[in-house]
This record gives sequence, C-alpha cells and structure tokens, in this order.
Amino acid sequence: MSNDVMIYANDLSKSFGSFRALDKINFEVKRGEIVGFLGPNGAGKSTTMRILTCFISPTGGAARVNGHDVFDAPLQVRESLGYLPQRAPLYLEMSVLEYLRFAGDLRHLSPDTFRSRAKSVVEVCGLAQVLGKEIKHLSHGYRQRVGLAQALIHDPPILILDEPTSDLDPNEKAEFLDYLKQIGEQRTVMLSTHNLAEVEASCARAIIVSRGRIVADGPLDEIRGKSGRVRYVVSIQESATAGKYRGRGPLPKKGQVEDTLGKVDGVKRLSELPTDESAHAYELVSEREVDLRPEIFQAIVDQGWVLLELHRDAQTLEDVFRSLTIGDERRNRQLGAAADGGSDEEDDEDEEEQDDSDTAGSADDEKAAKEERS
Amino acid sequence: MRNIFIIARRDLRAQFNSPVASVVLGGTMLLLGVVFFLIPHISGVLAGSFWDVDRATMDQMFASLPLFLSVFVIPAVTMRSLAAEKGSGTLELLITMPVRDSEVILGKYLAALAMVLILLASTLLYPIAMFVWPWHLGALDWGPVWAGYLGCVCFSAAAVGVGMMLSSLTESDVVAFFMTLGVLGIVYAVGWIVSVWHTDNATGSTLIDALGFISFQTRYAPFARGLIDTRAIVYFVSVTILCLLISFRSLESRKWS
Repeated sequence: MSNDVMIYANDLSKSFGSFRALDKINFEVKRGEIVGFLGPNGAGKSTTMRILTCFISPTGGAARVNGHDVFDAPLQVRESLGYLPQRAPLYLEMSVLEYLRFAGDLRHLSPDTFRSRAKSVVEVCGLAQVLGKEIKHLSHGYRQRVGLAQALIHDPPILILDEPTSDLDPNEKAEFLDYLKQIGEQRTVMLSTHNLAEVEASCARAIIVSRGRIVADGPLDEIRGKSGRVRYVVSIQESATAGKYRGRGPLPKKGQVEDTLGKVDGVKRLSELPTDESAHAYELVSEREVDLRPEIFQAIVDQGWVLLELHRDAQTLEDVFRSLTIGDERRNRQLGAAADGGSDEEDDEDEEEQDDSDTAGSADDEKAAKEERS
Repeated sequence: MRNIFIIARRDLRAQFNSPVASVVLGGTMLLLGVVFFLIPHISGVLAGSFWDVDRATMDQMFASLPLFLSVFVIPAVTMRSLAAEKGSGTLELLITMPVRDSEVILGKYLAALAMVLILLASTLLYPIAMFVWPWHLGALDWGPVWAGYLGCVCFSAAAVGVGMMLSSLTESDVVAFFMTLGVLGIVYAVGWIVSVWHTDNATGSTLIDALGFISFQTRYAPFARGLIDTRAIVYFVSVTILCLLISFRSLESRKWS
C-alpha cells in the first residue's frame, strides 16, 4: 500500500443478521481525490462510511484510513477524518459557535488553533450570520453547513460525507458543491449520494454500489462509456412560424422523420424527445463504435430539412447508473424475492465465482431488464 | 480523561438549556416542601411532616428524598443521556469524534449525576433557612444531616447508573423514562415492603432478608438516621460499576449487531 492511499478497503463485508449489507467490497481512494460513492438507497453506502469512521465494525475484511486500521486504531482513524453523517444530526439546543467549540474541544484544539480554524471554516461554510443562533432555529441547509464545519474544524486530510446534499434546495446544493470544490483541493473527499448530477459536478471518480457490491469504479468518463452504447440527439425544424423557412420542399411530418432516421444504418433504437411545436427532436441509440453523425446529417440534407441540432454523447451517467443498479429496483417490487431472501443469498453465492472481479458482466441481466422495459 | 469532562460539561449544559433542569429542580423543591411541611403522618408510608415530629431534625426530608429521586428526578435526568442521542442520531456524530466509548458513558454518567447533586445541594436550603438564617427553629444536630446527604449521594450514584443502563438499551427517551421509573419504583417498593414487615414482625424471614439485600431503600435507611454504613457504600458503588459496564457493552454492541 503506497503512502498516497488514504482510504483502503479490502474484502470488506458486513452482515446484519442474515442480511448481507456489504459483500466483499474492495476500493482505494488516493490523496487529493474527490470520490462520489453512488448507489440506490440501501445499497450499502452508509454502512461503508460507518465502518470507515469506526462507528460499526465490519464482519469481514480489512479497512485502513490514513494508514490506520479500523480495528486496531479507531481513535487515530477518527482523528484523521472529518465525518458528516446523513441528515447532519447535531445537538439542536446548542448555538453554532458552542457546537463548533465542542467539536474543537473533543479534537483537542488549543484555543488559538480553534480561533483560527473556526474563522476559516465559518468563512468557507458561510456561517458568519448564524454563529450565535441555536441550531434548532436553522434551516436544513444551514444545519448541513454546520455539520460540514464541524467535520472541517480540525483540518482533517480526509472528509467523509454521507448524503450531504439530500436536504438542500437547488441553490444550496450548488453552493455546497462549490464549497466542496474549494475544500477538496488539498483533501481526500468521499461523498455518498444518489444524485448523479452532483457527482458530475464535483467528482472526477465514482464508485457505484448496488446490493452491497461495487458494480463500477473509475473515472466518470470510463463509467459513462461502460455500456458501449452511443446516443445521438437530433432535432429538425418542424414549423416556420418565426421568420422564413430555409429548407427545401414542405415542412417535415413526424412519420417522415421517424422513417428517415430509422433507416440510417446502425441506428438501433429511436425515441422522440419532448419539444415544443417548432422542432422534431429524437434520440437515436447505436451500439456501434462508428460515428453515425455524417450519415444522419446526409439523410436529413437529402430530404431538404433544416437540421437544428445534432450531437453525440456517450451514455449519461444516469443511464449507466440505472442499468447497473436496476436489479435493486426490480427486487424491491417483487414480494417473492424479499420473502425468500435466504435462497437469494445462495444464488449470489453461486454467481460469486464468475461475478467477483467482474463489473460489466453483471450488466447482462440488467440489459435484459432494460430491453423488457423498452 | 479530558474528553469525559468535555462530554459531561456539554450534557449538563444541555440539561440546563432544556426544560428538564428547571422542571426537575423546581418540581422537586416544591413537592418536597409540600411533603416536608404539610403532608401528615400516614402509617408505614410517610413519616409525617416536620411539624408532626416536633423536633429539630431533617429526618422527614431524608425519608422522602429517595422516593422523589426514584420516581421523578433520576428517570427524567437519565432518559436523555443515551436514548435520545441514539434516537436522533447525534450519538453517531459524537462517537465518530476521537473519543472512546467508555469516555462517552462516563461523561454522560457524570453529567446526570452532577444534575442530581445540584438538586441535592439545593435541598440544603431547607436546613439552612430553618435553622441558620433567617429562622432558628432549634439547635439542629448537623451530623445526621451530613450522613443523610452522604446516603443520598450514594443512592443517587447507583440509581443514576441504573438509569444510564436502561437509557442505553432503548432509542426512545419516553421508554427510557418509564423503564427507569419502573425499575427504581420497584426497588423502592421492595424496600418499603421490607420496612413494613420489620415494623409488624419481630422475626426475620429469608425472603425478606433477600429483598432487603437488593433494596436500595433498606441500604439507604441507616444513612437517613445518621448512621454511615460502609457495607451500603460498597453495595451502591458495586451497583454503579455494574450498571456502567452494562451500558458500555450495550453501546459497544452497535458495532456487531
């Protein structure tokens, strides 16, 4: 293990009775990384974070934080990290300053260090206006900021944040992600969420967990490209209400557009996107590596239509996330699966052999599920 | 060590910031006053008011204090210690600071005990007001008073331990309150049965002796009469340690459940 690995988990498992919350997960987080820990509710995100902060113990495997083992040196582990649990559970009857002082005291900061640290976290988290207020009178957004401030008070090299943005309104979210960028410059940050936009806005790397296992781990682009599908968005002018129509011939009808686009070689699936009256917009899905843009463009020009937009992107993170974790969703909807959880676990056991190191493989049945839906 | 005091200080401050401290202090002082001065003698239950006894003594106060402590003060003071923190999740944030589980338990125990001690200290107002200033109702023998307070402190130490233990077993402060009230109430009632038996019967019985052995009340009774019983002190200290160990284990069990 090199010195740069700040968080290290090896075959980490946790069972609650017969329920396996975490199943041999492995990952490393290096110094200076901001990692998004993604997964549906109940996938094992909080469990992992609680193990890393030594709140609970794993049933198997090993974890090290900043080089300290969670079993052997829980105090050193906790000293080197700042933690914000889900929903920021703070002592409501304390004022913000009192709370920060309490956190500083427990972290054994000297009064001078506390003063200078408090000044900086108050600035970063935007708490100057509410320092004297009792926490119970603060909005969720501010409580979350206080939670972040207490996690930062001792200037930890590692930050672990469990769904830090779940209670925030969109403005607060954007602001919070901004702080996170500032804060994350010299720190290792692990942040759990089920909001993909946040990960895209603030993290370079994501770990996706589903049913206690890691199903994807890597830079966002790599994860996005995971399913190998490419998406094209095409929009074609539909009406010429404002100004002159520049196309040849009559305005295109919906059926014609679908026909033309569907005939382009390599297009696997075609679906209409919601737009106003002025344009036909479609999403085309291809499974080929070849760029279909020239073909699409040519087909439209041949018809004499006006192309308003054409762009190609790899699958959105959201699509990948859904396809990787959709098993959870299905499972939640099936009564039978939940009822015979025991036999389910055995199935998992069988899969384990093939499934263990493999992450893309598990997408197979997920793919089938997706096709079922479409 | 330092962490224990930081946690204790925070908890104590929280008690004073919430209505708990004022309700407990105010309520107890008021009720104690009523019982001490106004409630007449009821055979076997209450020793009668100060005026009934007609002597310069605080016995009546020490006779009724354990009842107040058992059914009101200690359940109210300990209910929030761990139960409420578990329920609201603040315990997670506290425990993930660099503190040991044992420091959390001891800090919270000390805070709850300090609250009860503050209450006991404020009851000193009675003997002072009655016998020192502004009134002089007689020459009070202070020896039994201090012995009584020592008994109350030992009693409270053990009872707060019981409260902490029960508070660590649940996530709801209401449940913690009633469990503590129930357990301390039963322990008190057992003592009352024993004392009634002893007034009515000259001979002992094995069952009564056994009940007397576990009863806080029986252990406390000699102190209320001015007698310092070291066996009782050992007993109260042992109960305290046992309860704190169970609380510690119960807090630790979160890791494995």
